[in-house]
Amino acid sequence: MMHTLVLFPFFALIILNLPLRVIFRRLSFWVVFALSLIQIFLVFFPQNAFWGTHFNFLNTFFRFNLSADGLSMVMLLSIGIVTLTALLVARQMITDSDRMALFCSLLLIAMAGMNGAVLVRDIFSLYVFLEITAVASYIMIAFDKNIFSFEGAFKYLVLSAVATAMMITAIALVILFSGSTEFYLINYAIRASAHTSLIVLSLGLFLCGFFIKAGLIPFHSWLPDAYSSAPAPVSIFLAGIVTKTTGVYTLIRIFISIFGFNGQSQRILLLAGIISVVIGAIAAITQKDFKRMLAYSSISQVGYIILGLGCASSLGIAGAILHIFNHSVFKSLLFVNSAAVETQTGKTNMDEISGLGEKMPVTAVTSTLGALSCAGIPPLAGFWSKLLIILALWVGGLHVYAVVAILSSVLTLAYLLSIQRKLFFIKGNSEENSQIKEAGFGISLASTLLAFISLATGVFFPFIINSFIVPFGKIFGRF
Amino acid sequence: MNIQVLADLWPFMVCVITLFVIGFYCLIVTLNLIRALIGIEILIKAITLLIIVVGYVSGHSALTQSLVITMIVIEAVIITIAVGLVVGIYRKTGSLDSRNIRNLKG
Repeated sequence: MMHTLVLFPFFALIILNLPLRVIFRRLSFWVVFALSLIQIFLVFFPQNAFWGTHFNFLNTFFRFNLSADGLSMVMLLSIGIVTLTALLVARQMITDSDRMALFCSLLLIAMAGMNGAVLVRDIFSLYVFLEITAVASYIMIAFDKNIFSFEGAFKYLVLSAVATAMMITAIALVILFSGSTEFYLINYAIRASAHTSLIVLSLGLFLCGFFIKAGLIPFHSWLPDAYSSAPAPVSIFLAGIVTKTTGVYTLIRIFISIFGFNGQSQRILLLAGIISVVIGAIAAITQKDFKRMLAYSSISQVGYIILGLGCASSLGIAGAILHIFNHSVFKSLLFVNSAAVETQTGKTNMDEISGLGEKMPVTAVTSTLGALSCAGIPPLAGFWSKLLIILALWVGGLHVYAVVAILSSVLTLAYLLSIQRKLFFIKGNSEENSQIKEAGFGISLASTLLAFISLATGVFFPFIINSFIVPFGKIFGRF
Repeated sequence: MNIQVLADLWPFMVCVITLFVIGFYCLIVTLNLIRALIGIEILIKAITLLIIVVGYVSGHSALTQSLVITMIVIEAVIITIAVGLVVGIYRKTGSLDSRNIRNLKG
């Protein structure tokens, strides 16, 4: 039945774009809405028959092995939440119903691609689904058809093509020493074989490819351009889930399911993570544009995830996975707030906007919650995941990394609170601001929902830890 | 099958590596957007050839042939979208020079 998570978006896409499009055009919003809600709903019931039953009939037509473990479940949940958010914001911001139908179709393609990517257990199918997601996101970035969005999309496309080239070279080397593309067969071959040089080469190529896709620091140049030039709903979608699935999830997956950890790969991960954390935070402080600052902040937060992975312990990986979920919630929330500010004032430069707190109370409150969660302030969700990562670093004897991670957290707080103060708290020019009112219903609903999730995950964390973190320890116990 | 076998197939490997270097060089040096896309194409062709050679060496020709066909389809989709973006840039700026698209600073 897991095939339906991939196949339903595709069938919906085909049906919505049949020649009778005029009739279906108005339906497309509700189709995506229903699919993402169903996906969120299914993840909350892992004992459901949906995850267990297999239709042999489907397997004869679509021969890819799918299976869902804890990591896939968390990713599916994040995909559902972020798609829903992007959809709600798009309904507010894209007024033309033709363009809205187009956007819904692209969302469906990206959703099918990401659902496939988090469920497959075959390295070549993983590549295919990543490309499906990437293709949809190139078109989405260029959705507004202005010169900036074309530029952002083109840069993303070129760097992503290089990443893909590296990834396929690595797949070719993997086929050479294991003769297969299935995860578990490759894992057996790696444990048994003596071709160390080939294994190291293929792992290095995979790492480079996924570092480009995740936008870690030496390879980050496309990321701020793509995020800041894309229309607001697309920024939410890209920052919240697309780069996390195509870069970070795949990185975690190849480590835990295929290659396993050794001292050298662990050192590379830790180094890449800590450089991204520090330089991303420093670059974010200097930005004038709201969305570019959030993009650099995103690089810095991805660095934390990679640091957690680099610990190579079950605690660290659990922290990394929890941070992926939290990041997709609070970064989408901050991008929703940036969309609200952008629609109401028409500007994204932080120096030109001030004193919105009185006019836009919902945006002000939710963005403060998002910023505090991002910086890791205790009752909120971001605190717990950062705590787990830093604890894992400390327990693993990596004291220097732990201290630098804590200090960078202070930097995060500095830049996020400075924009909160500039945009919302200090008194602004009252004549300029007199026309401004709260953003529409869709954006307010999305930001309230996300702020609520962020708060609830943090406050009820002691209850979640038993059903969420402890199982991860069992899954990854073998490494 | 190990790296020694690949070394025995040196004519193929020379082709693969030459194509790879040409593609990468083209991508880095050129200022023309269409040429950058040609560079990407050459890069991916090199890897397609590598996968076929790998299938031949390791005796999994059937697997690699199906992979190569899938790859060619995906590559065609990517290049179609890339050319669409280039057409869009040309309509906005009136040239194909990549120096015109440096408005955003990494």
